[in-house]
Amino acid sequence: MTVSLAVPDILVARAQAGDEEALEALYRAFETPVYNLARRMLKRPEDAEDVVQETFLEVVRNIKQYRGEGHLWGWVRRIASTKALMRIRRDQIRATEPLDDEPGKPGMHVGANIDLERAFEQLSETSRAVVWLHDVEGYTHEEIAEQMGKSVSFSKSQLARAHARLRRMLDIDAGEAGGTHA
Amino acid sequence: MMHCTMEDLGALRAGEGSVWARRHITTCDICQKEQELLYQRVAQLKALPALRPSRDRWPAVQAVIRAERSRKRRTWTWTGSLAAAAALAGILLLQPSTGQHGQLHAELNQAKQQSATLEDSLQQYDIDGRVLSGHAAAVVADLEDRISAIDGSLALQNGFTQDVETRDAALIKLWQERVGLMRELVNAHVTRARYVGL
Repeated sequence: MTVSLAVPDILVARAQAGDEEALEALYRAFETPVYNLARRMLKRPEDAEDVVQETFLEVVRNIKQYRGEGHLWGWVRRIASTKALMRIRRDQIRATEPLDDEPGKPGMHVGANIDLERAFEQLSETSRAVVWLHDVEGYTHEEIAEQMGKSVSFSKSQLARAHARLRRMLDIDAGEAGGTHA
Repeated sequence: MMHCTMEDLGALRAGEGSVWARRHITTCDICQKEQELLYQRVAQLKALPALRPSRDRWPAVQAVIRAERSRKRRTWTWTGSLAAAAALAGILLLQPSTGQHGQLHAELNQAKQQSATLEDSLQQYDIDGRVLSGHAAAVVADLEDRISAIDGSLALQNGFTQDVETRDAALIKLWQERVGLMRELVNAHVTRARYVGL
């Protein structure tokens, strides 16, 4: 999803002055992109909703410190991705990548022709976060590594593993190279 | 024949591929196809529709904002009423505390002490750092508003020129109301902390 969210400066100024209507207008402007970002990274919808709430509380508490450097969405997105990654870290068990596709689980086994969205949902939260932040939001591996508190090579290998898994789940015939692109 | 790994393809996409991978991809149809599929997957991910929350969290956010503002106001009022109470205590100390007046004085101090203890209890909970449901935030905000109103009355009461016993009786009533509300506020936070497993 490409996001282009232009927020009038006057609205930001009113929000910085504590105007509740302006704060709600900001919430309405960013609610869906923040939820979408969090939901793509996290498996549970209620976790993503919590991230929306936590993100906006942080926005409200710190909006006075926003100096207009860079796009407001970039600032909000950074807060949201940090909150989502904190949730993933808080419960690492949920983020554990299965060693291989779980046999018998619908949509998981090789050969099932599932769509990309469903395949993406099967990934661990860590993999989802890396794929989404890198491929969709355009974060660099360095930025992802910093936010996750991991190394750049961790981010790169997570991305490669995630794509290899997506590739297997999508069961796209790659001819003779079937087993070599893992 | 050796082909590019997914890491190789990712590196090529980022313009960081090894010399071998850069050469290989120009001559290998299989790896070219695999790279094209990678580009397609990324394009498809970018094109996924936006997911929307099923519940509106603004009321909960708004309730927390109001509660925090109320808490800030209360802190200021509380500081003011503390200063006024300290001044009043100075005056009372100069007066003999005997008979009914002495008893009122003791009750007043007891209520203040209970209130201070409950304020300390509240510090155990991370009041600003946790997600509250809309209902819980509204309950907390309401209690804090009522405490804030009492603090305002306490500050005003301290400034009234009236006889000492009438003033002390009014102060005790207000402080006791404050203690009751503080207890409810602490209970609200205790219940929430239990619910989230803290």
